[in-house]
Amino acid sequence: MNFSSLLNTALDDLLAQVRPVLAIVHNGRRGAGAGVLVGDGLVLTSNHVVARGRSFKVTLNDDASYEARVLSHDPETDLALLSIPANGGTSAVFSERDPRPGELVFAFGHPWGERAVLTGGVLSAVTTARTPRGEIPILRTDARLAPGNSGGPLLNAAGEVIGLNAMIFGGDQGIAIPASVIRKFLGMARSRVPANAVPEGVI
Amino acid sequence: MSNVLVELSNAMAAAAEKVGTSTVMVNARRRIPATGIAYGADLILTANHVVEREEGITVTLSDGSEVPATVAGRDHGTDLALLRLERPLAKPAETAQDAKVGQLVLALGRPSEAGIEASLGVVSAVGGPVHTRHGAIDKYIRTDTTPFPGFSGGPLADADGRVVGLNTSGFGHGAAITIPADLAWKVAEQLAKHGSVRRGYLGVRSQGVEISAAAQKALKREQATGLILIGVESDSPAEAAGLMVGDIIVAIDGQPVHSHDELFARLSGDVIDKSTPVEVLRGGQPQSINVKIGARK
Repeated sequence: MNFSSLLNTALDDLLAQVRPVLAIVHNGRRGAGAGVLVGDGLVLTSNHVVARGRSFKVTLNDDASYEARVLSHDPETDLALLSIPANGGTSAVFSERDPRPGELVFAFGHPWGERAVLTGGVLSAVTTARTPRGEIPILRTDARLAPGNSGGPLLNAAGEVIGLNAMIFGGDQGIAIPASVIRKFLGMARSRVPANAVPEGVI
Repeated sequence: MSNVLVELSNAMAAAAEKVGTSTVMVNARRRIPATGIAYGADLILTANHVVEREEGITVTLSDGSEVPATVAGRDHGTDLALLRLERPLAKPAETAQDAKVGQLVLALGRPSEAGIEASLGVVSAVGGPVHTRHGAIDKYIRTDTTPFPGFSGGPLADADGRVVGLNTSGFGHGAAITIPADLAWKVAEQLAKHGSVRRGYLGVRSQGVEISAAAQKALKREQATGLILIGVESDSPAEAAGLMVGDIIVAIDGQPVHSHDELFARLSGDVIDKSTPVEVLRGGQPQSINVKIGARK
């Protein structure tokens, strides 16, 4: 096989691997965000997707929709965890490696409401962003992001999640919350221990 | 899990890391810092427009060490500046020869202490010569990489981690272009030696003209245009060599000259103070006249 068909096969494999873990998160208002299944019927998304929502619904890759409740959310890292009564076993694979600037990345989400769109680029920077309470590590990418990508996974070339797409700065800079921060958030949210990072909204 | 996608990804990350060791942060303006490329152990090539001051310049190397620097030379025409480090601690970059349309490239920058930054794209076009605000550049590269803030002065790298060119947004309209490495390195060499780029002086006024089919036949090549001399200044290299009003310049040093931009480009670089063959059409016949090209003041 030539290089181009090997590349296409690799992309097909990547899509097949991540499609089942991508969700749509409706917040009862206009627009929707993306989400990632993280096992135990839990769906990770961006806090700003659910922040001002009233009722939440999660649609999975097989088109099944479920009522969801917010289990935990953290405005500082812009992460939120929802619970749905389904898909206990399905979970995204999170990368264990340190992200490297220049490596290929893919954003998976629903930009402008179009379902399951993959955009590509490289990891632009491993840096930090200032928040009202300090600094948090962030990733920046030149992969094209749009409203509807929020809460969707940023993937490496192996299809592992290296971050959660959070927002768009200045038209061309996508921001993602790195896997290391997500892991901490999930650890705390799962143990339901109210910690500093999850000050309120913990049920 | 290894596949070609992962291999390509690893190669791009390795390229960013390799060029990153020669990519420095340049602190020479009030806004956010810009980027530079190590040309020599003590020489940093960057964009001229990001060097807004002559004093208090510092360069932060890839290992985080901060080294004071002074301006070794500037060239407005190509928007390049060369900085000299107080201590020779930089790792000179490796350059690549030619950029090909369609090839994968990374634009790199180091606008903060957080580390190297990257943006992916392809070479969209290779063009030139082109007029700039303060001169002309012989050749340029255009890419679809994203020029993030502070990327000016930084490298455009190929997938092997070699420098293809220097990125700058200093030519106005906010558009970023890349100065090819061979051209940028030539300018750097002159800046290191003379502190400025010397431009050649012929002492002629000229105008573009079409070359007749008969004259092209006499030239033994297809060349549709040249520059007709409408004035020769007294005591100029052109006069000393015997160039006359009405001569049509068609080539300098064996390189065809179709336009003013090309004449301008041919007169920069190594031609100054050298006897250089200037090919003209005189009475429809080609002649080669050696001109000792002077330096423009």
